Amino acid sequence: METLYTVFVDPFVQMFEVPDFFLQVLWEGLVSGVLYALIALGFVLIFKSSRIFNFAQGIMVVFAALSLVSLHTFLVPFVGNEFVAAAIAMPLTLGIMYALAMSVERVVLRPLIGQPDIILFMATIGITMFLIGFGEFVFGGENKVMITEALGIPTGAIEFEPFGGFLLLEEKDVFAVVMAIVLVISLLVFLNKSAMGRAIRALGDDHTAALSVGISLSTIWVLVWFIAGVIALATGIVWGARAGVSFALEVIAYKALPVLMLGGLESVSGAIIGGITIGILEKVFEIYWGQPLFGGNTETWFAFIFALIVLLFRPQGLFGEKIIERV
Amino acid sequence: MKHLSNFGKAVAAGAFAVAMSTAAMAADGLNFPNLTYRTGPFASTGTPIMNGQRDYMLMLNERDGGIGGMPIDYIECETGYNTNKGVECYEKTKGKALVTQPWSTGITLQVMPRTNVDRIPILAPGYGFSPMSDGDTFAWAFNPPVSYWDGAYMILDYIAGGDMSSLKGKKIVLLHLDHPFGKEPIPLLEKLAEIYDFRLVPVPVGLKEMQNQSAQWLQIRRERPDNVVMWGWGAMNAGAITEAVKTRYPMENFIGVWWSGSDADLQNVGAKAKGYKSVSFNAPGNFPVLEDIRKYVVSKGNSKIKSEAEMDTIFYQRGIIFSMILAEAAKTAQDRFGENNINAEQLRWGLENLDITASRLEELGMKDMIPPLKMTCDNHTGHTGAWMLEWNGEEFVQASDLLTPNRELIKPLELEKAADYAKNNAPWPDRGDLACN
Repeated sequence: METLYTVFVDPFVQMFEVPDFFLQVLWEGLVSGVLYALIALGFVLIFKSSRIFNFAQGIMVVFAALSLVSLHTFLVPFVGNEFVAAAIAMPLTLGIMYALAMSVERVVLRPLIGQPDIILFMATIGITMFLIGFGEFVFGGENKVMITEALGIPTGAIEFEPFGGFLLLEEKDVFAVVMAIVLVISLLVFLNKSAMGRAIRALGDDHTAALSVGISLSTIWVLVWFIAGVIALATGIVWGARAGVSFALEVIAYKALPVLMLGGLESVSGAIIGGITIGILEKVFEIYWGQPLFGGNTETWFAFIFALIVLLFRPQGLFGEKIIERV
Repeated sequence: MKHLSNFGKAVAAGAFAVAMSTAAMAADGLNFPNLTYRTGPFASTGTPIMNGQRDYMLMLNERDGGIGGMPIDYIECETGYNTNKGVECYEKTKGKALVTQPWSTGITLQVMPRTNVDRIPILAPGYGFSPMSDGDTFAWAFNPPVSYWDGAYMILDYIAGGDMSSLKGKKIVLLHLDHPFGKEPIPLLEKLAEIYDFRLVPVPVGLKEMQNQSAQWLQIRRERPDNVVMWGWGAMNAGAITEAVKTRYPMENFIGVWWSGSDADLQNVGAKAKGYKSVSFNAPGNFPVLEDIRKYVVSKGNSKIKSEAEMDTIFYQRGIIFSMILAEAAKTAQDRFGENNINAEQLRWGLENLDITASRLEELGMKDMIPPLKMTCDNHTGHTGAWMLEWNGEEFVQASDLLTPNRELIKPLELEKAADYAKNNAPWPDRGDLACN
């Protein structure tokens, strides 16, 4: 009887009795969801254009963030100003991500054109291993501080007193949400309105047909890997602003997997909605059910179970394309 | 052709000389492997410690020609704090090893049964399985200078102001990594909660949640605990401290174990974390030993530190202490057996009979860097005690006199759990023919 009360009554009583805390849980879930969605976007973009599941997306987040912070540290003594150093470090980091995209295309992907998808997937594992080793050689393994203030990201907090309680929104979290929205809108406009964007979508739909009308596979691959690098940089900045920049950031890429299962591997909007859904649900479940029933840490598995249940009914995910194979 | 022939002879002679010198090193050097984790999610904890360990050993080689005239063959094998890789590293390095330093509670638990068979001592300073202190059961394992259970007791003793009965009715959250290391203090804390009538609320943090602990801190906000005790490692520490600042949890009520007290973890929040504390068996300071390391290693460009400022950090200096403990154990064994080229069994004896007095610490240029340490046959930890350090916004400073664990209370639990371990891993060998003194 007590268990039934804990499952079906108590959580809702708590939500009603302490509404400000419930709002805080929803906000934290939304912020986590937006951050998951950002990582998932990087996966989606590359899969959409090349059918490659990019295992290296997580380490690209680390690599981009470490490049930015290290370049900034290097530049400050020369320019004597944190903001100017950040303004120079940012385009230089984008340059590094572009060089990375070019190298991946030239050295890894181009020789593997026509190979089965699993070979390309394995190649991205190789890229991951290389970037881990190379990154640790260049940047070292220590935790570094994200240059939040030099980038002009607000670091204060906004306080509310809803229902006579207390709700706190960190300005850098608000910034993360706004930045994610801007990034997604820009991406959607680019994919749907620009010639390059249409070329990416065309490649995603049918490689052979796209090539036959003159779309360059190499150019598009460099472009999507670069955009994935830009998304990785944005993700690294907002995650790094929360708890520092280290190789531990790579682990958060695994949080994107259930988002992809839920949202579908080809859908930009699926990544966003999937990320936010999982972010909010796992937080609410952890606070109101996970901690009382399982002793906490349900975030480790909740999203996977939830995504699996969805897959039972929609194997292609909520927004993925239904694959019909004619025999 | 003649020139080529001479060149060939020269190459062959050179190769032979190198091979002979390598063989001589292998035969005569003191082989000290270290299963490091300079990579992966825990690198922020590992890197400065490994740098300190390495630099001290290099300094001994440069300054003294090793230990007792025997060069030190210090080898790193990278595990990334991964248990499987750790076991691989142990197997790879055990051939010539005089000791193994597994560097994770998970790896320690995995290799412990193997070291009995291979007869190689485990040195797990400040980590591992607390009952390892029982030398009668764990003849080959050592975890000086204090165990996790000692640490848990000392933290509570500090919170209680020396009067443990004052904990009655309090609510204490244990924020811990969901990993064998993080769960290690729970048996003792549960026992203390029962004795002193306080409520213990364990809050686990998964490996994937280390950098986003909003759920854990929402629970802490809901629970409104009197104190939060953290058992964190690597990226978990910075994540927790950042969330604590964000949640506006009173920092003076937030205390971490010694692995949650790295200067680098506090840099992200700086002055906002003022008042945060961490129990530590090494005190920060400018000790004479650092000058020797600077002179013989750093200034020659042989250190892996990024800047000399790292030498002032708690974790770098802790690494120096760990290597010092190993070096002193080797010296103890050399003195006892009258030979400099000791073997693993002799080093085990050296660890078991290690006695680093205050005057010896002064000779080593480490006066007051750690408390004096003495181990015995039935005490493989030393239980030296530790100090509470406090973050003043820029660095850690000493905030208490030496705290000591209540051994009368902890030891019975250690013996009970050691016996359980031996029973669950039967047939577990006893000391057999291992000499005590």
